[in-house]
Amino acid sequence: MKQLFSLLLATTTLLFGRPLLGAPIELGASVQLTGQFANTGRYYGDAYQFAIDKINAAGGVKIGNTREKLVLKMLDNQSDVNLSVRQYVQLVSQDKVNFLLGPFASDFVLADSAIAEKYSIPMIQGGGASDQIFSRGYKYIFGTLPAASDYFQSTLDLTGQLKPPPKTIALLYADDAFDVSVADGTRKAIGKTSMKIAVDQRYSSKASDFNSMLSLIKSQDVDAILVAGHETEILNFIRQSKTLNVNPKLYAFTVGVPSADFRNALGQDANYAFGMTSWVPSPAFKDDYVGNAEQFATEYQKRFGYEPDYHAASAVAVVEAFVKAIEAANSVDPAKLRDAIARVDFDSLYGRIRFNAVGQISLPQTVVQVQKGKLVPVFGPKGVMEKALYPMPAWGKR
Amino acid sequence: MQLLWQILINGVLLGGLYALMALGLVLVWGVLNIVNLAHGALIMLGAYACYYLFTVFGLDPFGALPVAMAVLFCLGYLIQRYVLNLVIRAPMFNTLLITFGLEVVITFLAQMIFSADFRTVNPSYAGANFLWLGATVPLVRLLAFGVALGLTFALWLFLDHTAIGRAIRATAQNLTAARLYGVNPRQLYALTFGIGAALAGAAGTLYGVVSQINPYIGSGLTGKSFAIAIIGGLDKSIYVLVGGLFLGIVEALTALYIGPTYTDVISFGILVLVLIVRPTGLLGRTA
Repeated sequence: MKQLFSLLLATTTLLFGRPLLGAPIELGASVQLTGQFANTGRYYGDAYQFAIDKINAAGGVKIGNTREKLVLKMLDNQSDVNLSVRQYVQLVSQDKVNFLLGPFASDFVLADSAIAEKYSIPMIQGGGASDQIFSRGYKYIFGTLPAASDYFQSTLDLTGQLKPPPKTIALLYADDAFDVSVADGTRKAIGKTSMKIAVDQRYSSKASDFNSMLSLIKSQDVDAILVAGHETEILNFIRQSKTLNVNPKLYAFTVGVPSADFRNALGQDANYAFGMTSWVPSPAFKDDYVGNAEQFATEYQKRFGYEPDYHAASAVAVVEAFVKAIEAANSVDPAKLRDAIARVDFDSLYGRIRFNAVGQISLPQTVVQVQKGKLVPVFGPKGVMEKALYPMPAWGKR
Repeated sequence: MQLLWQILINGVLLGGLYALMALGLVLVWGVLNIVNLAHGALIMLGAYACYYLFTVFGLDPFGALPVAMAVLFCLGYLIQRYVLNLVIRAPMFNTLLITFGLEVVITFLAQMIFSADFRTVNPSYAGANFLWLGATVPLVRLLAFGVALGLTFALWLFLDHTAIGRAIRATAQNLTAARLYGVNPRQLYALTFGIGAALAGAAGTLYGVVSQINPYIGSGLTGKSFAIAIIGGLDKSIYVLVGGLFLGIVEALTALYIGPTYTDVISFGILVLVLIVRPTGLLGRTA
C-alpha cells in the first residue's frame, strides 16, 4: 500500500512537476522589498506573510479530507521590472510553485502577468489597477484593486456636491501604465460634469520638480487639482505648491494620502489634502481568518511596526482568494483553480471579493481627507460621511 | 509674459541647486579622473545628515549645513584613502565599476539604517515666499541658490588662490611634475575626494529642504550631475554654475512649452548633442 502511494506520488510529481497530495501548497511572489518602490512594496511582502501565517494557524487549506499548509516563496525584485519577470519565470519553472501572488504596481503586473499566462499558472495580484492589465484577454490574471479608470469617480461625485462648486480642473498624471489609465478614465468622467479641464499634463514618472506645472496652474487660476502619481512626486508637489503659494480650492491625489508615512513626512502641510482608499480598517469588514479589518490593522501594526493601508488589505485578500478557490475546486490543478478563482464570491477584511469577466473586482473608493493631522473619511459609496473641509484655506492663512 | 518670467525664475533657482550637486562630481572627475557614480548616494547621505541634525538635535538646516559637510568630508576622505586610492591607477572603467558598487552598497545600507520611509526637512520657513516683480520667489530656494553661488565662489578661491588648491590643480595637470615639487598625491587625492563629498553633503542638505528624501534619490541625481558636467565642462567651477543654470532653465521651459514628460529626454538629448558638437563641453575642456 505504502509502495503504491509512493508510486502515485512519484507519478504525479513526474506529470505535474510536484505532488498533488500530501505536500504544502507553495505560493510564489516577487515583491519590491528594496529599491525605489520598497516603501509600498513592503505592504505586499509583510501582508502575504501575515495572511499565510494566519491561515496556517487556523489549520491550513482544506482539500478533500486533508488540510494542507501554505508556504510562501518570496523573492526581492529590487524594484526592477526586468528582474521581477526573471524571478517569476524562476518561481514557475525551477521552484515549481503552485500559484503566483502578484507584485506591487501596474507596470510590474503588466510584465509579470505574461509569465502567469504563458505557463498557465493563476496569478492573483493586489498591486496593479491599470485597465491595460485586464484588456489583453489573459485568462490567468486576477486583481483585487478597483479599476484605475474609476479611481477619481468618487472624488468627482463629491466635488459635485461642494459649495461653491469648482469650475475648472487641472489634471496631472505620471506617464506609467496605472496613472495613464487613471487619467483616461478621469478625463471621460469630468466630461460628464459641468467642470472644465483647464490644464491637462502628463509628467515623467521620475519628476521631482513641479514648479513649471504649478506656475502654469497658478496662472490659469484653477479651482481643483487632481494628481495621479506616486507618493514621492505627490510629496514634492505639495511642498512646492506651498513654496509657490498655489492655492486651489481643493487638491486630490490617487496615492499617498492614506499612508501614515505621508502625514509624517509633511506634518501640518498634509492637511486638507484629499485622497482615496478602497479600504478602511473598520470592524464592519469581517473575514474567516483574522476576524475583522480593525483587528487586522492592530495586529499588523504590532507585528511590523507600521500602519497597514489598502495595499496591505488587498494583499491579504489575494491570499484569501486563493484559499477559497482551492477549497472550492478541491484541487491544486492550475486549470481547475483558474475557473474556481473566476467563481469565488466571499467577504474578506478588504471587502467583497468577486471577479468580473476580465478578472478585476469592483470596489468603490472612499474619499479621505487629512484634517488636523488625522485621516478622515469624507465621502463613500453611500454619500457624505464626515464634513469635507472646503475650500482649502490659502497657505498664508493656516 | 508673466508666466514666462515666473518659469525663468523657477529655472534659475533650480539650476543653482543643480550646479551645487554637480560641483563635487566635476571636481573629483577633473582632478582624479574618476567619474564618481556614488556621488548621488553621497548627496543622499548629506540629506539624511541634515534630516537627523534637524529632527533630533533641532539644528536649523542652514546651521546643519557645515556639520553635514564635515561629516561627508570625513566619509569621502576615508573612501578615497582606503578604497579608491588602491585602484587609482587602474583603467577608468574599473574605477567606474567600483564607484557603481559603492553606490549600490551605500544605498542598501541607507535603506537598512534609515528605512524606505520618505522624509522631509521642514523648518517653519520652508514654505515662505515673496513677490518680486510679479513672480513668486520661494525663500528656501533662493537661500539654497545663494549657498550654491557662495560655495562655487569659495571653491574657485580655494583652487586658484591657496597653496593646497594650486597643488590639487597641479596634480590634475601633471602628476610627475607635481611630485617633483613635493606634492603627496595620495593625501591630495583623499583631500580632493573629501571636498567633493563635502559639496555633495551641502547639496544634499539643501535638497532635503526643497524636496523629499529616501534612500533611492541618489542615482537620478548622479545622472543630472553628470549631464551638467558634460554641458559645462570640467575646467572651472564657474562653468559648472553655467551648466547647472542652463539645465535648470531648459528643464523649466521644456516642462511648460513641450510637456513635463519630456524634461529628461531634452536634458539628456542636450548632453548627447554637446558630446557630438562640442566634446569639450559648451564652455571648456571635458575629460
